[in-house]
Amino acid sequence: MAARGVVLASILLFSCFLETCCGMISFSSLQRTLLVTASHRQALLKAGEDKITVTWGLNQSFPAGTDSAYKTIKVRLCYAPISQVDRAWRKTDDNLSKDKTCQFNIVKRPYSNGNQTLEWTIEREVPTATYFVRAYALDANGNEVAYGQNTDAKKSTNLFDIQAITGRHVSLDIASVCFSVFSVVSLMGFFIAEKRRARKSQQ
Amino acid sequence: MEVQSGVPESHPPKFALPVDSEQKATEFRLFSVAAPHMRAFHLAWVSFFSCFVSTFAAPPLLPIIRDNLNLTSTDIGNAGIAAVSGAVFARLAMGTACDLFGPRLASASLILLTTPAVYFTSIASSPVSFLLVRFFTGFSIATFVSTQFWMSSMFSSPVVGTANGVAGGWGNLGGGATQLIMPLVFDLIHHTGADKFTAWRIAFFIPALFQTLSAFAVLIFGQDLPDGNFRGLQKSGDKPKDKFSLVFYHGIRNYRGWILALTYGYCFGVELAVDNIIAEYFYDRFNLKLHTAGLIAASFGLANVISRPGGGILSDVVAKRFGMRGRLWTLWVVQTLGGVFCIILGRVGSLSASIVVMIAFSLFVQAACGLTFGVVPFVSRRSLGVISGMTGGGGNVGALLTQLIFFKGSKYSKETGISLMGVMIICCTLPVWLIYYPQWGGMFCGPSNKHTEEDYYMSEWNSVEKEKGLHHASLKFADNSRNEKGGGVKAAAMPTDGVQMA
Repeated sequence: MAARGVVLASILLFSCFLETCCGMISFSSLQRTLLVTASHRQALLKAGEDKITVTWGLNQSFPAGTDSAYKTIKVRLCYAPISQVDRAWRKTDDNLSKDKTCQFNIVKRPYSNGNQTLEWTIEREVPTATYFVRAYALDANGNEVAYGQNTDAKKSTNLFDIQAITGRHVSLDIASVCFSVFSVVSLMGFFIAEKRRARKSQQ
Repeated sequence: MEVQSGVPESHPPKFALPVDSEQKATEFRLFSVAAPHMRAFHLAWVSFFSCFVSTFAAPPLLPIIRDNLNLTSTDIGNAGIAAVSGAVFARLAMGTACDLFGPRLASASLILLTTPAVYFTSIASSPVSFLLVRFFTGFSIATFVSTQFWMSSMFSSPVVGTANGVAGGWGNLGGGATQLIMPLVFDLIHHTGADKFTAWRIAFFIPALFQTLSAFAVLIFGQDLPDGNFRGLQKSGDKPKDKFSLVFYHGIRNYRGWILALTYGYCFGVELAVDNIIAEYFYDRFNLKLHTAGLIAASFGLANVISRPGGGILSDVVAKRFGMRGRLWTLWVVQTLGGVFCIILGRVGSLSASIVVMIAFSLFVQAACGLTFGVVPFVSRRSLGVISGMTGGGGNVGALLTQLIFFKGSKYSKETGISLMGVMIICCTLPVWLIYYPQWGGMFCGPSNKHTEEDYYMSEWNSVEKEKGLHHASLKFADNSRNEKGGGVKAAAMPTDGVQMA
């Protein structure tokens, strides 16, 4: 039993090393060195219409040279915990290659020192949910090395709601109703025609 | 076209296929569209196929729909359950409707009355409306019962398993084809510039239109029986009108119908449950694209093109040598093996292994469906529709229960749910051991020498009804079913080819 436990533990340990050495990055290993803010109008934001102003930059309280490896910045729109409840397809996973928290790309730019701002129009395909904004700093290999987000570690502050488009159109509504009515009416038509034919053949 | 039997004919019509004393075809020729037998076959399977396409049109597009309608896993699970629960009672009602009004009217009516639900899916806007449209669309797969009834009315016992198996299998194919069709249609529409959240809505018009057109075809080109339609035959006195209460009573008091309802819940029911979850399972677990997940999920349903017919054919082949006992044994073995593969499917972790096991699982579970309907036509002659309806309804109950217990919300991971479902399949297939026909035997007991096929089928009629001569169709059927004894025993006196002289 003990021997099995040791074997299991060593396999787990080995796989952890394997992960870090072979490119599987864990979120908890990233340093939070970036400062990110997201501002927007105070009403419910609409996908496809409203804009969010995102700013990001290195947190100056970190020593100089912290950002020497940063080559690219990737800013993404992420689901808040409340929008992940009972939705396994939005689950947070420490392994970044499996993580599904941040599914929408806001911008991807080369890193430059100093604060950057972007006014982003919310994409039309963003679903109705509660969100926050996170920025990842990538190194030359495209691997995440640091991050920043506009909310706290528990992802409970500065969240904002976005309302999706319905995807419905008046023409679709009308077509649905018309075709439905046609189906039912044609059935009745068939019945009447059948009855008439049966009566005629009896005469 | 319809045969007008308003005026009694001096000799019965000639058929393209050889027929027995009930005018049922004794051969099954797949590539013929000869009226009435093969034409009925093609109309039946195509209309049933369209219903399956509609009922399972949502699952492959769920990754889009769940974001548009803000669905949770629980909402999705509930909608999946709703999709199969409507048909539980619809199938039973359909069975009775077939006994009373004939499969042509019964199926076409149901199809046309459920098409509005498919059209309204395009305007769903919340979890509740999504659940409602899936619920009402699901009623349409009660056409399974009319398909089987129609085939059992058109084809004789040597080929009834095959006819039922192919019609049922090619109809069920819709559940697989839709996993390919819907993502494709969605992609096409999305590429023309529509938003994702609009494209999926437009895509639903395709299955809806297909369904409408197939119902029209059934009404225009189909006929209930080799001799004509129910209404025409009833008016001319060639087919006595039966009473609903008696038909229903004789159906539900036959314990074999209940056992088959349970076991069918764990081959067909499982197939429906898997149709509902498999695309999402592959999409989420293996991080595939919508397309790819749809393709893999489709192969599960597409196996129906050979597996269910294979089950039906196997049933008929085994019956030639071993009769009804062979049919029962084969059913039990094949379905149990399906359960075993299901358990394995939940345990394998690699994509390629999952696909291989899933295909094996689909072949066995769908063959079991075909084998079940090799047994069903013999349970009752008077209440064939009710028995078909009970069995079919039992299939949907199985789908409902399985999704409720294992695939609702986030209690079990999908993999665990699948394995547990496999265990349940094995347990719920055991009751096949209890099916016993006095004239043919059961799995472990031989036939009783004192009982004949006539005794069994005549027990459904009382002496008053026999005096009125209502039982003649059952008598003919009893004679034609004698080959279920096995060992190559044929129907006693009737010639089996060409024109039947009255």
